[in-house]
Amino acid sequence: MILQALHGYYQRLLERGEPGLSPFGYSPEKISYAILLAPDGRLVDVSSIRDHSGKKPVPRLLNVPQPEKRTVGIKPNFLWDKTSYVLGVSATSKRADKEHEAFKALHLQILAGTDDPALKALLAFLSIWNPERFKAPPFNEEMRDANLVFRLDGEAMYLHERPAAQLARARLLAGAGNEGSATGECLVTGEHLPLARLHPPIKGVNGAQSSGASIVSFNLESFGSYGKSQGENAPISEQAAFAYTTVLNHLLRRGEHNRQRIQVGDATVVFWAEAADADEAATAESLLGDMLNAPPDDSQEAGRVREALEKASKGRPLRDIDPKLHDETRMYVLGLAPNASRISIRFWQTGTLGDLAQRLAQHEADMRIEPVPWKTAPAARRLVLATVPNREGAMPKMDDAFNNLAGELMRAILSGGLYPQSLLANTLMRIRSDGNLSGMRAALCKGILARQRRLGINTNDEEVPVSLDKQSLNPAYRLGRLFAVLENVQRSALGNQVNATIRDRYYGAASATPASVFPMLLRNTQNHLGKLRKDKVGWAVTLERDIREIVEGLGERFPRSLRIEDQGRFAIGYYHQSQARFNKGDDANDSTPETDVADQGALA
Amino acid sequence: MAFGIKLYVWGDRACFTRPEMKVERVSYDVITPSAARGILDAIHWKPAIRWHVNRIHVLKPIRFESIRRNEVGGKLSAASVAKAMSAGSTAGLPNYVDEDRQQRAATILRDVAYVIEAHFELTAKAGPDDSVGKHLDIFNRRARKGQCFQMPCLGVREFPGHFKLLEEGEALPSSHGSLKGSRDLGWMLHDIDFEYGATPRFFRATMNDGVIDVPAWSSEEVKA
Repeated sequence: MILQALHGYYQRLLERGEPGLSPFGYSPEKISYAILLAPDGRLVDVSSIRDHSGKKPVPRLLNVPQPEKRTVGIKPNFLWDKTSYVLGVSATSKRADKEHEAFKALHLQILAGTDDPALKALLAFLSIWNPERFKAPPFNEEMRDANLVFRLDGEAMYLHERPAAQLARARLLAGAGNEGSATGECLVTGEHLPLARLHPPIKGVNGAQSSGASIVSFNLESFGSYGKSQGENAPISEQAAFAYTTVLNHLLRRGEHNRQRIQVGDATVVFWAEAADADEAATAESLLGDMLNAPPDDSQEAGRVREALEKASKGRPLRDIDPKLHDETRMYVLGLAPNASRISIRFWQTGTLGDLAQRLAQHEADMRIEPVPWKTAPAARRLVLATVPNREGAMPKMDDAFNNLAGELMRAILSGGLYPQSLLANTLMRIRSDGNLSGMRAALCKGILARQRRLGINTNDEEVPVSLDKQSLNPAYRLGRLFAVLENVQRSALGNQVNATIRDRYYGAASATPASVFPMLLRNTQNHLGKLRKDKVGWAVTLERDIREIVEGLGERFPRSLRIEDQGRFAIGYYHQSQARFNKGDDANDSTPETDVADQGALA
Repeated sequence: MAFGIKLYVWGDRACFTRPEMKVERVSYDVITPSAARGILDAIHWKPAIRWHVNRIHVLKPIRFESIRRNEVGGKLSAASVAKAMSAGSTAGLPNYVDEDRQQRAATILRDVAYVIEAHFELTAKAGPDDSVGKHLDIFNRRARKGQCFQMPCLGVREFPGHFKLLEEGEALPSSHGSLKGSRDLGWMLHDIDFEYGATPRFFRATMNDGVIDVPAWSSEEVKA
């Protein structure tokens, strides 16, 4: 279905005349110079067609006949190539003479008997060209190994754009098709056509080879079946193979104007809409893009995302935001990840815009925790960042994320299914080893538990509270709260200059094996309270009352150990209680909101 | 079809690999007819009969998950085995797994359940002792007891498939609500034509309220 959908998208874009999308047999390549020819084959000039608007001139992308897949063999391209092939001069290639011979031979063969004056001029040029001439102007050293195209002097069209050239190109393709490739039933279109043996490379997936990688490839012998080789294993027509790779390369292109591509962990995500016209598609795509990767600030986009999620969660149509948004617009989301010169599909989700918005709203609701640690919905990218080590003084790095986690998390968000099993364990492990319980991490714990409950798993547990719930009798939650209060007592008694607080030292043990830690912590707290009573009696009484109130709700004895889900609740309780003291206002005058807030700032 | 059977199959994981993404495996959304035939073959098969899958009922929502596994990149060539046999020595023959690792990703199905409706026909290899009734009885008896020649699997060997015979007249387990409506599943592998150079044959699969009608092997809709 993935290839079919991409093929369909290609057809729509082609009909719509999308700029930068090549028709069958052509591909956009970086071209630097055009050689101007006189009708008799004399060289008139060499003009630079690079883009000079920036600091450095950069090659322009031109739609030229698709390049050959080159590895070690000498394979000239049709009507364009680098200087070693076109002119026989190169700074790097040691066999430029052979390459030029091949270029010449190919064109003499294909263009023999042509009537087109421009193509005739090229033939004449090739027969009289001598690489020695490269040393004199109009050539210069900068041109070595750049890509060249041809143009007949006085005409606007490049040689490869001329109808006669396209005809010759079609003949060339048909000839190549007859030689080796078999025909068969195309898996994408269902028609009987010549099959692609090798598929064009896909460029732009982060972490994959820069020369491109393949979704459909059989690069080792154990990948084939039934004695079939290469493309015969997966019968896809030349034309369909071209279509899906071209449109995928188009979606994956880098640049700030491409809003259809985002990076989540190691997965490169592209998405597109199937809408009546280009405007509607673009609006839908930009909304989905913002929802998947919400800007963490108060910008206009962030506001739009908030509004869209609110509408979706209330079941209101998105049209209220923008008349160009339709709930029924079909959306496709594809997550790709590199793997050894191949590209694997991390996830693939289709659905209507309304459905996806609703699922994203559901995700936001599941993750919601108070006080809210973010300004806009928790995008997958930021959630993934919360699961990587937070080293002191360094920004969390996306590279540290577990490979599969990002993809699985995205799948869960887009499909409305369970969050990945490993996410809770991984988050708790990170909290313990970093000692940093940020709002984002608490929200992750809460979201995982809330979604499990909503989907009918672990229903015997009580609901996961969004904000501080003093009535909750869940022992893990209460212990989390108790731990936060004990930390607060220590902080109030000893100030903020403690080298290692009880959180730094005991958080892990307290959340996993409460019975072994809490009695000792409670004993020490009496010392802290004793000190506090001398300075601030009222505050000491308040804290003591808090402790009593929490302990009263606990059972006879502390649990020996907590299950992983309960450790999640512990984290939520801790977050709620420790944040609550900031909200009390006057009561909290002794404890300044310092480190915690700074930590969240880095993550939220 | 008086001699049709219904088999309920289920499992925790399944991978019905798409041919175009069989290196970094991606599963079809549902079981393919050839995988369903494989399950039936595992319970009872003889050269005298040939199974035909008529209909597939999808019972559980379609859910995906991705995993990575270590596999090998090469395979032993038949020629080098033949050489080793004639030379009477295995020198140079072994393939060391740890020197030929390939990590491959797979996007697989989670928690699947299907009902396979199928029948079989006698082939040219059927002798005078073979009759439809005899083979049907053998199949039913074996399936009822849970007997099989090898553990049936859901697409790949690592994912075993459990099965239970649905008796005639027994009600079908109900499909999950999310499967309501019509869904185009694209071109799907029907089976491999082993008599003509192992040619794959495809059909356009559509699912209506969780039910996929599989066209007959010889029908127009199945293309090679």
